[in-house]
Amino acid sequence: MTAERQRAEVLVENIANADTTRTASGGPYKRQDVVFESQDVTSPFSSIFDAQMTSQGAGVGISQIITDDGPGDRRYMPGHPDADKDGYVTFPKVNPAEDMVDLLGASRSYQANVSAISAVKDMIQRSIDLFK
Amino acid sequence: MLDPLSRQLEQYMTLLSVRQKLVSSNIANADTPDYRTKDIDFESEFREYLTNPLKSAPNVTDVNGLRVKADGNNVDLDREARLLSENAIRFSVASNLLRGNIKDIRLAISGGGTNS
Amino acid sequence: MSIPISPISLPVAPALSAVPSAANSGSGASFQSLLQNAVNNVETANAQASAAVSDYMSGGNQEIHSMVLATQNADLNFELFMQVRNKVVSAYEEIMRMQV
Repeated sequence: MTAERQRAEVLVENIANADTTRTASGGPYKRQDVVFESQDVTSPFSSIFDAQMTSQGAGVGISQIITDDGPGDRRYMPGHPDADKDGYVTFPKVNPAEDMVDLLGASRSYQANVSAISAVKDMIQRSIDLFK
Repeated sequence: MLDPLSRQLEQYMTLLSVRQKLVSSNIANADTPDYRTKDIDFESEFREYLTNPLKSAPNVTDVNGLRVKADGNNVDLDREARLLSENAIRFSVASNLLRGNIKDIRLAISGGGTNS
Repeated sequence: MSIPISPISLPVAPALSAVPSAANSGSGASFQSLLQNAVNNVETANAQASAAVSDYMSGGNQEIHSMVLATQNADLNFELFMQVRNKVVSAYEEIMRMQV
């Protein structure tokens, strides 16, 4: 879940900065992406959840966040304050539509993870109910 | 003390629990590149248990027939969501049956009333 | 007047088997083996339950439902043992009453 949420955050930042031509470090915003990797999870959940969820499966984490250093889009806008000497402004290479679709995917995965946790929690509860 | 059927129910629940952990793993890794869906062959593992109750951990295998996406991942969220529900329901049924069995045994022991 | 029988110790068994033959002579041995059987079952079930609970508490691979069932199993064995003990005690008392 943490991984999907981080992915969503990165995508939202991409979309929000789709038109940022000037950042604090100068130059246009550079698009970022996340790389998922199967990892053993140390979870902040209680140890019961840990034992139930991870003892026979694989967790997931974000192994790196990649920054796209490629050249941005150049558009001809001579009146723009950031235009270079030829009148071109460099925009970030962010395709909002594409990132929006990815965001929906991340959201769906996140939901699925929530369902999984809920189902396991229910099974644990039923196991405890055998005491009655 | 617990009758053989109850022991079978217990093993059924254990296998379901194992399977649910794999489903959870698959869901967690739904976007991980090159991750392959994992599962167990539930029916044959359970049947093996019926003939050999001391059998140890079930075999975890890769699942065939799933579409592989461009990043090498073959997790189908619909399949995993369906299995998630199915496992949960089966577990619930088994635990209810088991609880009933325990009650019955207790009733049989106490004879259903006070005896001198 | 009955000899109080403690549920765990076995010395009661020889006393039961000394019951005179108003009851048939096999009954002393079968009282003893009934109780012995029940005690053995209780001890085994308790050991299994304790192991399961320990393993669960120390974060081992113990499934929760298996641990719960192990403790339920121990409880059931103990309840059966108590019932057997009660029946044995009342049968013994009844037999003792027959000796005039």
